[in-house]
Amino acid sequence: MISDNAKKQINSWIEKYPQGKQSSAVMEALKVVQAENNNQLNHDLIQAVADYLDMPGIAAAEVATFYENYNHKPVGKHIIRFCHNISCMLTGADDLISHLEAKLGVKTGEVTEDGLISVKKVECLGACVGAPMFQIGDQYYENLTTDKVDEIVDGLK
Amino acid sequence: MIVEIEIDGKLINANTGEMVIAVTDREGISVPRFCYHKKLSISASCRMCLVDVEGAPKPQPACSTPVAEGMKIHTQNEKAIASQKAVMEFLLINHPLDCPICDQGGECELQDVAIEYGSDVSRFSEGKRIVAPSDIGPLIQTDMTRCIHCTRCVRFGSEIAGIMEMGATGRGEELKIEPFLAEGITSELSGNMIDVCPVGALTSKPFRYELRSWQMSSVESIARHDLVGSNLYAQTYKGNVKRVVSGDNDAVNETWISDRDRFSYEGLTHENRLLSPQIKVEGQWKEVEWDVALDFAIKGLNNNILNSRNLAKLGGLASNTATIEELHLMQKLLREIGCENIDHRLNVKDLNNTIHLKSTIKLIELETIDQALVIGANLRLEQPMINHRLRKAQLSGANITTLNVKDFNFNYKVDSHITSPNEIANTLAGVLKALIDKTKQELPEYLSEVMPSEQSVAMANNLLEANNSVLILGEHLINNAQASSISNLTAEIAKLTNSSTLNLTATANSLGAQLVNFMPNSKGMNTNEMLDADMRAFILLDVYPEYDFHHSATALNALSSDDMFVISLNSFGSELISQYSDVMLPMAAMFETSGTHMNINGKAQSFRASVGAPGEAKPAWKILKVLADLLELPGFHYENSAQVMSEVAHQSTQTHEYDTSIDLSKQTAMLETIWMHSPYQSDVLLRHAKSLSASQIGHMNTASMNASTAQALSLNNKDTYLGVPVEIDSIMADQCVFVNSNQATNTGGLQ
Ligand code: SF4
Ligand code: FES
Ligand code: FES
Repeated sequence: MISDNAKKQINSWIEKYPQGKQSSAVMEALKVVQAENNNQLNHDLIQAVADYLDMPGIAAAEVATFYENYNHKPVGKHIIRFCHNISCMLTGADDLISHLEAKLGVKTGEVTEDGLISVKKVECLGACVGAPMFQIGDQYYENLTTDKVDEIVDGLK
Repeated sequence: MIVEIEIDGKLINANTGEMVIAVTDREGISVPRFCYHKKLSISASCRMCLVDVEGAPKPQPACSTPVAEGMKIHTQNEKAIASQKAVMEFLLINHPLDCPICDQGGECELQDVAIEYGSDVSRFSEGKRIVAPSDIGPLIQTDMTRCIHCTRCVRFGSEIAGIMEMGATGRGEELKIEPFLAEGITSELSGNMIDVCPVGALTSKPFRYELRSWQMSSVESIARHDLVGSNLYAQTYKGNVKRVVSGDNDAVNETWISDRDRFSYEGLTHENRLLSPQIKVEGQWKEVEWDVALDFAIKGLNNNILNSRNLAKLGGLASNTATIEELHLMQKLLREIGCENIDHRLNVKDLNNTIHLKSTIKLIELETIDQALVIGANLRLEQPMINHRLRKAQLSGANITTLNVKDFNFNYKVDSHITSPNEIANTLAGVLKALIDKTKQELPEYLSEVMPSEQSVAMANNLLEANNSVLILGEHLINNAQASSISNLTAEIAKLTNSSTLNLTATANSLGAQLVNFMPNSKGMNTNEMLDADMRAFILLDVYPEYDFHHSATALNALSSDDMFVISLNSFGSELISQYSDVMLPMAAMFETSGTHMNINGKAQSFRASVGAPGEAKPAWKILKVLADLLELPGFHYENSAQVMSEVAHQSTQTHEYDTSIDLSKQTAMLETIWMHSPYQSDVLLRHAKSLSASQIGHMNTASMNASTAQALSLNNKDTYLGVPVEIDSIMADQCVFVNSNQATNTGGLQ
């Protein structure tokens, strides 16, 4: 289930931890495996990672479901990570999310039909000073307004 | 070190490092809590236990605040109460108000704490969280909307059961406690999660919607399915056991019980219970009054045995699950009339070749060993509570080596050596020889030819280096062709290495049976000899031949022979029992009789009847007493079972001589079959407990062998071996089959 290439990458993470603490590499291992599987994890892949790291499946699943950067459903080429924590919520994130959903014709957690964009609600990304905000790829977009959202989204290819 | 602290104005001595909650618990000061559990690690996640510590800016959780000299703690001042109330309000935000339809109602920690700290009116008007229940098997009911995320069940799994099955997935409002695997929960200790869950999220499935806790009475009792004798409470209502919960006894079971002990009570109300005395007249069964049945029994005995003083032709066999009192009265009755053919060892192929090792270690001491050698045991399933102690030892660094035919699933790290049944004696002889070489002792003759393998030498070294080692012999060795040599070799090794020993082949109440000498003396016949002899009558105490005997076909043939008169005392009836019996006397099952069970440490634990027996059934000790009276035997004036037990206590115990020779040349069979009943089939009550049978462990039914054994037997994994589905297991010893079956013994059935 885990490719040789993925194993190689995981092993390099395992080496960074003391012997017998290989399960500490679980986050990276899940990331590596996700990257090789259409940017998505499933039950069997999580179990495979757990087996590889000699840890209980549920313990790997706890990690995989806690962090938002692991995907359990198909995702688009671009993932819009919309913060909806306190600062962003107070500054109108919920309305912006509704706007975005209407614009794209998808709900949070779904992908547009062309497979280009998906939307996720995430917890505080540490950019409260520029709330409301979202993240696409490595880029933060802050002080969002409906116009700004439209402009950014229209620019995605 | 002792420190002095002040709690609510009272000066109290505490040990450094202790958490505040441990001190308040000891002092009887009540501090509310959800996530704290004395036997689990500290998670400090629920915050219900907040107390005010002078000098600390914020309230501190009592469960994770260690005491320090001079600490002043307030559990009841304004600050403490206000924080506790605030936490309670948060917890109730998402907790449903469904107490009237919740099984935990009346014994719910949340309900209790809410009464003290909750507010009457909720300020939360938004929607509550709803979590779909998951089906985690036939034993535990989940209602996860009620879960307060204390993670006790999760910690129980990873810390005590040794397999983390429950976990907390998701985050924030989406956080859910659930198992990862579709099979649900499979641990042999899973039922304890019901006890640790403070709310109605995990409740007993068989008990669902039955009763409120306050409607039942709790009767202290002892579990009798293994040789631990776990302490428990049988909760009863209108004469029925409705539920079993664990009791506390650090020397025996701490605060845990196995699922087997928790759910066996379900069998009590099974339709197969024998409810009335019955006699067979001209081949027809007739339900009769007790006096008629007993007279009939006596008449049969008179005709077949007593009138002709033909006592050598009478045999008495008992199940080792019987109580000490029952076994004592039965042997006393038989010995009074002059019969010496008495035995409780039904499943041993050769009674001159047995594991007779003494157990010399206390259960609690198992936790502190640093080296163990486990031979022939699948400990997790066969002796869950003993396994739990050993697991603790391993987790604190002990080295556990196993010699098994199969790579059994241990819930801790073992150094597993796959060994054929016929190699065990030699391996041990190698260990002994290596020890003798090292300690420069004289080499006995029987070891002269032995060449210790590397593995044996390593084991010998390990044992010598250990400060505190134990040698454990398990049930798989009962019918090993070299059982007696294995037993004696183990004793020798223990002597040279100062190891303790544990003999797990004496199951259930076998030690109780030995105590009252429920075995033949030199003039009597043992089980196998009785079955081979041309007997005329048997008295059977809760015997179920298709499961109990080593070779059930032989037993059934013997019992069914012409002119045989069989008196059967049974708690359950069956087709087979009616075929060979002449009179069937219904007896009380576990939970229905008072009595005593002796555990592996020789601890005799008495219990009273939790409920009365159903129908006409009577406690077996009473039936035996009345039979003795009708036979006009002296010395049977008992009014209760405690009098029987005090007679036993005043009796000197017989010591048995066992063959101590070691003979390594003894021919062993080419192919050894180890037949184990699945753990939930090991006695008659368990076999009738339906939720256990429906569980994953209850379904176990495989004959495991490796590919070359399968080939030699011309079998593949679609075939059956002795009626049990074949499982090809690559990590198995050669030339042996390990059967773990939930069906009657292979040779069952009248031929
Ligand atoms: S199911 Fe019960 S024990 Fe487990 S986390 Fe929830 S409330 Fe605690
Ligand atoms: S709350 Fe949105 S970035 Fe902090
Ligand atoms: S009991 Fe102390 S935080 Fe839960």
